[in-house]
Amino acid sequence: MPRKGAPTSQSVLFRRSEAGGGLRACVVLVALSLVMFTMSVREGDTGGPLNAVRGAWMTVTTPVRWVGGAITAPFQGLGNVVANLTADQGRLSDLKRENERLVARNAELEESEQTARRLESLLGLQSLYNLQSTAARIISGPTDSWSSTVTIDKGTSSGFSVGMPVTDANGAIGQIVQCGATSSTVRLISDENSSVSAMVQSTRAQGILKGSVDGTLHLTLVRTDQTVEEGDMVVTSGLGGVFPKGLPLGKVLSVERTSGSLYYEIEVEPLSSAESFEEVLVITSLTEDQKATSEDVAEADKQDTAAGGTAPTGDATTEDDTVAAEGVADGTAAGDGDSAASGSDEAGAGGDGGE
Amino acid sequence: MQVKDSNRNRRDFGVLALICLVLQLALAPNVGIGSGRANFALVFAGITSLLVGGRPAVLCGFVSGLVFDLSSTGPIGLMACLLTIGSFAVGIEARNRLADDFRRSMATFAPFAGIVSVLYHLTMLLVGDASSLVDVIIRRALPTVILTVLGFAPFAYVISHATGSTLSLGGKPSKSARSHGSRYDLDSV
Repeated sequence: MPRKGAPTSQSVLFRRSEAGGGLRACVVLVALSLVMFTMSVREGDTGGPLNAVRGAWMTVTTPVRWVGGAITAPFQGLGNVVANLTADQGRLSDLKRENERLVARNAELEESEQTARRLESLLGLQSLYNLQSTAARIISGPTDSWSSTVTIDKGTSSGFSVGMPVTDANGAIGQIVQCGATSSTVRLISDENSSVSAMVQSTRAQGILKGSVDGTLHLTLVRTDQTVEEGDMVVTSGLGGVFPKGLPLGKVLSVERTSGSLYYEIEVEPLSSAESFEEVLVITSLTEDQKATSEDVAEADKQDTAAGGTAPTGDATTEDDTVAAEGVADGTAAGDGDSAASGSDEAGAGGDGGE
Repeated sequence: MQVKDSNRNRRDFGVLALICLVLQLALAPNVGIGSGRANFALVFAGITSLLVGGRPAVLCGFVSGLVFDLSSTGPIGLMACLLTIGSFAVGIEARNRLADDFRRSMATFAPFAGIVSVLYHLTMLLVGDASSLVDVIIRRALPTVILTVLGFAPFAYVISHATGSTLSLGGKPSKSARSHGSRYDLDSV
């Protein structure tokens, strides 16, 4: 008589047969997964059946994301509240002084704005930031730990498409990388795989603004014979033809010069934090005056030529097709002819000049 | 008398899947440590592996991984592949552990979550989405594992303490299921 609780031969056989069934299912599904993985990597972010399925999935799940975003919205500012409560007296005094300075500056700028408006009406000039854009609302942050993205509540049904730049009140924040019918995914400029052609506003020094895993921005490929100071504003250069020229990106936080290096190591503080995004503008098209001019391209080439055209190949490229256009422009700024080879005419011309 | 009720089991697992789906879509994107986000697909796969194992767990792992892939910006099929293999491996030996002992189920799930997360992020590194191994492990995989294990804990606690459900979240096992090595009859799931 078998011992109570000991496995009977029948139960052992059952387990074996069940494990065999599980193994068969496992093998089949792993093969299927690998096929999908290979197809997905080949497709990239644009086109293809898997991306169509993902777009449909995003559309179907948009209401759930929207509800989640609405429920957690009140808690998003909790970190700021705690920081404010624990701020010391010195910090508060600094903020008061800063506030007074900004109030004065604001009054001065308002006066300038009035003057500018009068001049504009007289001269018939368009505003520099005459953005042709559509407003959207951020409904969700990144779903995975891999990317620095946000989801907005509009998609192809609102005229959006992959590659369109996105801004908030402070300046450029990212670019659409996936687009469903009713929602879109925006890759932020702080994403590790993001690169935007940028320049220092005061000195027009050209470079590439890259994100990193810790959320800081780095302005790369700026030559050491250029002048860059802490506090300088970094703006889009418009060379990629994706972002309008002159949109603010951040402020220079630190500048380091390594002996023997051709380029500065510049850390840039973004003007917006991901927590403060609520409403954003998606720029649907660029006007001619928002694109980089041939003079801008020539200036970028000139800077590159002076550097000897030794920019590291591939720095400006990304694996992301939608960002590649910007990466190509970055190649123009850096004089990376290789990366510019498959790009636009404008970028190609710049790249050739750099060589 | 214990009566096998596979319909109710399926319903319970359907509810569990729905809860994990909603949490993955609504909560995970808005709660994070650094770059890390909780992975409720992994939580669901872990629960099914620890409860039932076998073919149902493999299927659940594949489907939940696929849902994760579709919801993220990464390549489709990667998490599905990892969760399929992981669910199969965990389901072979660890079934019933979830209902037996909360601590043991946590001790089984944590390495499962760790291995899957690290492999996922390493694969992303290999396909060229990052340049630093340290960043991948410390800044992405580790926070993800911590949040995922934290997300799993309430489920494990409830399942190991609750009574009365035929998912059997703590209920007595049926004779037939016990004799087959599983107290949860989910072969029909």
